[in-house]
Amino acid sequence: MNVQAPRILLRRQLLGGVKRRASREPYRCFSCSVRDAQQQTPPPKSPQHAQGTTHFGFETVAEALKEQKVGAVFSSVASSYDAMNDFMSLGIHRLWKDHFVRNLNPGRNPLTSSSSDQGWNILDIAGGTGDIAFRMLDYASTINNDAHTKVTVADINPDMLAEGRKRALSTPYARSPRLKFVEANAETLDMIPDSSIDLYTVAFGIRNFTHKGTALREAYRVLKPGGVFACLEFSKVNNPLFDAFYKRWSFGAIPLIGQVVAGDRDSYQYLVESIERFPSQTEFRDMIQDAGLLVPGQGWEDLTGGIAAIHKGVKPT
Amino acid sequence: MGSWDLKPHPSMATRSLLGSFRATSSRLAAAPACRRSFHSYEYTQPPPFPPTESAILSAALSHVPDHGFTTAALTLGARDVGYLDVSTNILPRGVFDLVNYHLVMQRLALKDTVQFPAEAESGKKLGTGAKVRTLILARLRANESIIHRWQEALAIMAQPTYVPASLAELARLADEIWFLAGDTSVDTSWYTKRASLSAIYSSSEVFMTQDTSQNFRDTEQFLDARMEDVMKMGSIFGALGEWTDYTAHSTINVLRSKGVRI
Ligand SMILES: C[S@@+](CC[C@H](N)C(=O)[O-])C[C@H]1O[C@@H](n2cnc3c(N)ncnc32)[C@H](O)[C@@H]1O
Repeated sequence: MNVQAPRILLRRQLLGGVKRRASREPYRCFSCSVRDAQQQTPPPKSPQHAQGTTHFGFETVAEALKEQKVGAVFSSVASSYDAMNDFMSLGIHRLWKDHFVRNLNPGRNPLTSSSSDQGWNILDIAGGTGDIAFRMLDYASTINNDAHTKVTVADINPDMLAEGRKRALSTPYARSPRLKFVEANAETLDMIPDSSIDLYTVAFGIRNFTHKGTALREAYRVLKPGGVFACLEFSKVNNPLFDAFYKRWSFGAIPLIGQVVAGDRDSYQYLVESIERFPSQTEFRDMIQDAGLLVPGQGWEDLTGGIAAIHKGVKPT
Repeated sequence: MGSWDLKPHPSMATRSLLGSFRATSSRLAAAPACRRSFHSYEYTQPPPFPPTESAILSAALSHVPDHGFTTAALTLGARDVGYLDVSTNILPRGVFDLVNYHLVMQRLALKDTVQFPAEAESGKKLGTGAKVRTLILARLRANESIIHRWQEALAIMAQPTYVPASLAELARLADEIWFLAGDTSVDTSWYTKRASLSAIYSSSEVFMTQDTSQNFRDTEQFLDARMEDVMKMGSIFGALGEWTDYTAHSTINVLRSKGVRI
């Protein structure tokens, strides 16, 4: 973390005033594309928010603003992103991500397939920094000896994508056709054809979506029959004592640490509140079923007492 | 073996106890009106697994002789029934679901594979012990086609997360065998019987994985010897000390046979 100190100072100067403005003037220069995209395709309104308002953390804001506000949050945390995840997960998000990927077992093992077989077509939504994508490709290559599996990283935020492209340079996939970055809103994936995806993943992203149901239906559309939706997300802690501890930690400590590390208290405050607002494991499982997917067993797996959970759904054939 | 009769004296009280116990088991959940458990197998049961899981798992089982209890078998099974490699994610416990599917399906199949002639027809009474022996052998036979892969299954069952589920399924098998053998008594000996049968069955199952004799003759002898052991102990089971001691031991043996290091 020490190495980050100079950057933090710089960021503070650069971004210091931005957050305050965010609600009045809801986009930043490098988030303009977000606004453009939105003007072309206004998001459908969800019934609960007939007036067109939604949650931004605990604030209620006009739907039109949420995307831009979320955009601003991730633009401002893009480079201190790992530190943020460490704080939110008590340092274990890396283990969760490893488990998430291992459990999905991506890639086609040549031992069980004919040589003409192609690998999996994976879509990593809200893939930002490429964290999940690199793990998927590593797993497919080294564990399943699969040199064909492809990952498309989609994110609404160009800054997160830029961070991902930068990090890709230190992997073997930087200039390979196996890794692609696209700017897209999870609710309208027009560039992805129907029934074309084996595995749709979204890690720590879906709680930021304005219309989660719309995104789930879009996932259903792009999945091949038999394809899998898999989501890793902060969730509801099961044990009341641990819950009390975690809430104290997340509401009390994280925004403060966020301020120290990234000079950006508001963004972290939003992140903590968005986690608290996210549906419980059972509610989210029901949403997945409502989108038409079959869920395995009870529908989810709790990680670390429910701080995070993995939900899965399979598109019926 | 015919003399191996373990206290077949169901009193009225134990019958009604049994009735309520049976009703809570998943097999009978759909038929709560059924007090007498004898006819449970005549009711149509709800399918034990959802259709997609069933389709993939039953196809995957046919690949177990060649590929073992592995993700490869699951993947090939999924493809056989028109699913993708990734679709195996519908199985929350992966290869353990494959092992479990085999265990459950073979337990449920027992009532159809073994049919005892009614007493009136055959003229002679088949003792409970003889029936238990027949049932155990039938269940062991059901492992024949995959016996060379069964060590893998045991190793999967011995993983800490799966030990409780594996032991629960073993207990269900023991209950099923006692039930099909016509022993419906529920008294203090019930736990003993469940424990002793679990121990006998699982040790024979492990023995069978190494049996190279013609038609598994050695496994049959091994089973008979284990049943003799239990009979000899039968008379002293009454003493509570012995009972606890024996139960503890058989539990440990079962765990050991599942590969747990204790
Ligand atoms: C917490 S980051 C997760 C990044 C990465 N998946 C990981 O696990 O490290 C959340 C990401 O969701 C993206 N995001 C938010 N709303 C989105 C939307 N509607 N469509 C696509 N991506 C979105 C943000 O830009 C951000 O990069």
